[in-house]
Amino acid sequence: MSLAASGISIRFGGLVALNDVAVSVSPGEIVGLVGPNGAGKTTLFNCLTGVARPQHGRVELDGQDISHLRLEHRVRLGIGRTFQTPRLDLAGSVADAVMLGFYPRLKQSLFAAAVPFSSARRTEDDLSARARALIAEFHLAADADAPAGELSLGHLRLLEVARALAGEPRYLLLDEPAAGIDEGDRDLLAQAIRKAAARGIGVLLVEHNVGFVAELSQRMVALVTGEVVAQGTPADVVGDPHVVAAYLGVQRVAA
Amino acid sequence: MNRDARLWTAPAVVVVAFVAVMLLGLVRPSLHTTMFTIGLYALIALPLGLIYGQGGTISLAQGSFAALGAYTSAILTTRYGLAPALSVIPAILLPAVLAFAIARPILRLPELSLALVTLSLGTVIAVGLQRGGDFTGSYVGLSGAPPLPIVGKNPVLVAIAIWTAVLLVVVMYSHFVRSARGRALNAIRVDRLLAEAMGVNVPLDLATLFAAAAGIAGLAGWFYVHSIGYIAPDSLNAETSANILFMVVLGGRRAVLGPILGAAFFTFANDFLPGAETHGLFFGTILVLILLLSPDGILSPQAMRAMRRLVGRGRPPANAPASATPAPIPDAKEAAL
Repeated sequence: MSLAASGISIRFGGLVALNDVAVSVSPGEIVGLVGPNGAGKTTLFNCLTGVARPQHGRVELDGQDISHLRLEHRVRLGIGRTFQTPRLDLAGSVADAVMLGFYPRLKQSLFAAAVPFSSARRTEDDLSARARALIAEFHLAADADAPAGELSLGHLRLLEVARALAGEPRYLLLDEPAAGIDEGDRDLLAQAIRKAAARGIGVLLVEHNVGFVAELSQRMVALVTGEVVAQGTPADVVGDPHVVAAYLGVQRVAA
Repeated sequence: MNRDARLWTAPAVVVVAFVAVMLLGLVRPSLHTTMFTIGLYALIALPLGLIYGQGGTISLAQGSFAALGAYTSAILTTRYGLAPALSVIPAILLPAVLAFAIARPILRLPELSLALVTLSLGTVIAVGLQRGGDFTGSYVGLSGAPPLPIVGKNPVLVAIAIWTAVLLVVVMYSHFVRSARGRALNAIRVDRLLAEAMGVNVPLDLATLFAAAAGIAGLAGWFYVHSIGYIAPDSLNAETSANILFMVVLGGRRAVLGPILGAAFFTFANDFLPGAETHGLFFGTILVLILLLSPDGILSPQAMRAMRRLVGRGRPPANAPASATPAPIPDAKEAAL
């Protein structure tokens, strides 16, 4: 049981974005993916979720090859994700954003959605209540009916995590959820990630902020210029000379 | 409670407005025919309001899909003796199936390309109808289509019949935008990648709604040919499609009632304006003025909020902010009216 990518290589024109990269996350596990800008972290996310198609390699979900599946199909199979730049309808309300998050688990026909007094109406009340509960968990209840565009960047990131959790994913991919958010919100986020993992969700966390990841993850993978340079326990990875060199900008690692 | 009330606001407005105008028609009987024309346009424009206003997918083929429905029914009833009550089914299905078949490759195009492709689709349909020889009646068209079932030729009953269809579409539209599938459609307009990341099958949803829009246009075509008794290549064509888009954009593409308001405006203006050759000038000017003042048309989200504030001013603040009642917020919720 895991979400696993192996042998992933992708190039954009002459640029090799990822070269033979493997990464996996098991249910209940928090895996941190770190690396400097341009290391290929988001590209790897895109390969896992089907937003980008690698030239080589394979993605498996609990043993099933999902390499050929499109994004929306993978989402319905239980892979949730957030985006580096939050993607939301900024004019819509916070509650609407979370209600959209329930979509992957819903089976509602277009026709039922348009008919009065159908089960879709009861679903609507149920979803609304569940959305408000989730919003409260992220301390956003006061803004539930406000347009999402009025939230701070930090709150938008929390909202995206809440929306992703609404879809009850088995694996959750978070792309820099802690970037640009203040300390209180970061604690809230860390708590939510731990809680999700405790419920059996496998979390793959991309972060710039090595400290935040090291604190949360059981396992870390470091990417530098499209290749895995170190993996293991947070302590191992943070202390690895390749990682230190990449973050401090040292050109060559003394042997 | 409030949530349910919002579902029925637009249908209630339609019923009240319809009854009011029909009563005025007792004094001025020509209003009954005018109401039929407005209903006809509204029926073609409403589903375009849904796929364009909510889904961000433009189409300039609605008029041609209506022509397809009208011709299908005219041919089946005049040549094969089918009753109009039965020919309504193929009149809806044929445009819908054609729309569904062509939807997948074209609906991923950007807005301008999609407008041009759907426009040329209309041209292809028009040429096909003109060159169809005896089968389609060529340039002359087909006449002798039997009157509508049950309501016959009575202008009041005919108007009631088409507005019943309009009302059904308004009810379904209102419910749809407040459902999970409606939120998915909204997400498609805002950001396709977001919609896909929420598990929305974007090509299939758009294709299905595009087909439904074509089918409803086909139904309008059926109403047209069996109330007028006659259809020609010029009756419903690419110009109709352009006028339909004008109604949607002018009336307000984000609001359920926008297309109906646009249809009413267009029809009344056509009736009162002298000289058909000046119509284009008039409509062009109006469109530019309205869009400069309100890019989302007359019933724009901003206008609706202002209206709600105005209506709410007289009432005591029954719902404290802490209540569970959703406050008026922009976007999909605005589609209530």
